[in-house]
Amino acid sequence: MTHRRTRTISFLSVILLALTAIGPLFGSVSAQDDRPVLVHATNSGDKATFDPHLASGTQDRTVVDMVFNGLLRFKPGDASVIEADLATEVPEPVAEADGTQSWTFALRTDATCHASSATEAYPLTADDVVFSLQKSANSDTSGVAGDYAGFEFVKVDDATVKVVVPTPLGPAVFLPKFANYGGGYIICQQAYEALGADGFANEPIGTGPFKFSSYTPQTSTTLVANDDYFRGAPKLGGVEVRYIADNTARDLGLESGELDVINGLPEAQYVERINQAGNQIADVFGVGEAVWLNLDITNEYLQDPLVREAIILAVSRENHLALAGEPVAQGIFSIVPTGIVPGALTQEEAQAAEVDFSQDIERANELMAEAGYADGFSLTLVTSEQAAYQTQYTVLQEELAQIGIDVELEVVQHAVMHEQIRAGSNAITIYIAYRPSADTYLTQFFTSTGGSTNFSQFQLDDQVAAARAETDAEAQIEAWQQLNIEILQNFAGFGLLYTNQVYVRQPNVDYGHELISVPQLYPGYNETTTITE
Amino acid sequence: MLRFIFKRLLLGIPTLFAVLTIIFLLMRVAPGDPAYAVLGDYATDDAVAALRTQMGLDKPVWQQYLDYLGGILQGDLGDSLVTRQPAWIQIRTVLPYTLELTAAAIVIALAIGIPAGMLSAVRRNTFVDYFVRVISLAGLSAPAFYIGLLLMYFLSAKAGWFPAISTAGFDDPLENLHALVLPAITLGLVETAYVTRMTRSVMLNVLSDDYVRTARAKGLPSRMVMVRHALRPGLVPIVALTGVFVIGLIGGSVLTEEVFARPGLGKLMVGATTRRDYTLLQAIMVVYALIIVLVNILVDIIYTLVDPRMRKR
Repeated sequence: MTHRRTRTISFLSVILLALTAIGPLFGSVSAQDDRPVLVHATNSGDKATFDPHLASGTQDRTVVDMVFNGLLRFKPGDASVIEADLATEVPEPVAEADGTQSWTFALRTDATCHASSATEAYPLTADDVVFSLQKSANSDTSGVAGDYAGFEFVKVDDATVKVVVPTPLGPAVFLPKFANYGGGYIICQQAYEALGADGFANEPIGTGPFKFSSYTPQTSTTLVANDDYFRGAPKLGGVEVRYIADNTARDLGLESGELDVINGLPEAQYVERINQAGNQIADVFGVGEAVWLNLDITNEYLQDPLVREAIILAVSRENHLALAGEPVAQGIFSIVPTGIVPGALTQEEAQAAEVDFSQDIERANELMAEAGYADGFSLTLVTSEQAAYQTQYTVLQEELAQIGIDVELEVVQHAVMHEQIRAGSNAITIYIAYRPSADTYLTQFFTSTGGSTNFSQFQLDDQVAAARAETDAEAQIEAWQQLNIEILQNFAGFGLLYTNQVYVRQPNVDYGHELISVPQLYPGYNETTTITE
Repeated sequence: MLRFIFKRLLLGIPTLFAVLTIIFLLMRVAPGDPAYAVLGDYATDDAVAALRTQMGLDKPVWQQYLDYLGGILQGDLGDSLVTRQPAWIQIRTVLPYTLELTAAAIVIALAIGIPAGMLSAVRRNTFVDYFVRVISLAGLSAPAFYIGLLLMYFLSAKAGWFPAISTAGFDDPLENLHALVLPAITLGLVETAYVTRMTRSVMLNVLSDDYVRTARAKGLPSRMVMVRHALRPGLVPIVALTGVFVIGLIGGSVLTEEVFARPGLGKLMVGATTRRDYTLLQAIMVVYALIIVLVNILVDIIYTLVDPRMRKR
């Protein structure tokens, strides 16, 4: 019997040892020095790509933002200010004799490309910048190539790059394209060529304050401090980005002290609860993601402006705002979101232009009757399974029921919704997005250039192009505001609200900057971020 | 025995082929596009079209199918459409986490479930029996993720005994085991309930058999009757059940993996489905089908060890 017991214990011990010794492949995260490592939990289950010109999810943009620089950058914590980054100063436009416009970037000479598994570290030059911008402008290698259509990138010398734009652009349109967002991130040519596109998507190599170290599927991505960073060595030893899709798991991970910063819930009650408990701090900051309605003017029912007006009058902005509550959500009064980017309408401006529509069910029903739909009609709308979309559509469903429009909601996976709404499934499309400029909002959603994202089919091609080409900043803002008014007057769209970002941190986390607005939709970590004792 | 294993492996090939074909077709029929999962909503139509071409999604379905089968025959499971990493690397990274969680959960289930089921059978219709049955019913009824959240709240967030986010690597075995405790208990408790009820049922049948009565009549101690004469034949259906559990747990532990933020094959599979990552999902199915075949073979081998009559069949 004793012998059997011994054998059993030995057997179990062998199993336990085998279980724990299976995977030496998995590197765990540790600081390379005494500096603290910040552990950040994002609300996605895994990464998609670290190629900055393809990355679209917040979990990927978070990593990308720490690894790469732009020629310019949104001031840390305040996206309303654009300042020099890899460039030594913010360039001024020059009108060329042939009608084109050029912008010349003088590059700093102390920026270094991180070492990769295939290349050594080396100084960034104009070759890298031109290569990177050409990649951004190529739809085979970039998801945002449309932003750079017709642009020409010229190396003047090793430290100077000239961008030639076919049609003159104002700074508010041009500069964000070269800041640290989307196609504006500068990649290192040698690393990209050595690793290949697929390799680079898994091993991002840039010039930023943190260097890519490792990625474990579904678990984390580890970045370590780039001590050669041109703004100085980071105060953090590194950042570990954890992929934790479950909200409660993130909260408990923060509460247990295993996490330093988490992606919180975009709800006012949640923010209030965290801040009242006092153990952690919930920050609410921009940039806000705008939520607005797109009404398809070619739809069988909605082609009648009376029906579109009735729909807008059936909607209560307050109902939609209440889903998240203030200060997480704020009302907007045009498609270009108020208070996020220049070119939007304030409530007063919308009122003055008589396009600040408030819910008026009685009038909406009169309009429906006038349009010949006193008994209403039925619509099937596709919505994402994501709560942010589904709740907005559910409120809309209730609102439209009051004017006899019976909405059947078809809930599908998020990627499927994007595919189907682009194929024209929805007469009314609720869209949630942040875009870095009014021009991007208007071009993508209200011109033929937008292609399948011109959900309303209402096209302002010439007017948007004219506003884009306006080089006087004030006149440009006025032109954008006028376009917003035109969209509202034609009942092709209706702005509801924007939703701010909510992140929760341990009290000892110091981002190193004030949090007003961050376009990458996370608090923004750089060389000044630290964890205090 | 080798011939037996070889025959089982051969039988697995058509099964695998059928599974791959069904999965391939289902993924193509279902709406959704992996290009959107990568590029997001900002991407232009041109960029989406270009990426679809790079992914090979613009080819005719039959050609994609042939390419895929050709790759499999050469041992190439392909690259993930979304992450662009070789699918095998992603699977290889998460598989050990799933295997250790499954093994630990099964150990817990058997270690608690078999004694509890035996006790319940021996003390039939007593307070002990009722207690075990009620507890096991509760175990069956409680969703794993809910048990997990309760454990995390009390034992991690409040008591601080275990990590809430349990993804310690394998380079630190002790930390790895420490991080495994709560997920293993979460998953193991549900399986314990099944094992308990199964063991009780089996033991009740066996205990009324003539040879058990004879053993008792010979004056053998009750413990020896239970362990040597009753439990061993009773183990046959429990082994079969355990095989089913293992297969179910490998793919079905996704909720536990999600709650504890653990990597795992089930989570990888759900993620691949959501993102329409055809290649990765197909690769997971290949591995999953292989695991099913191997587990079944293993169960058959254990059968023969537990029940010598099986060797003659």
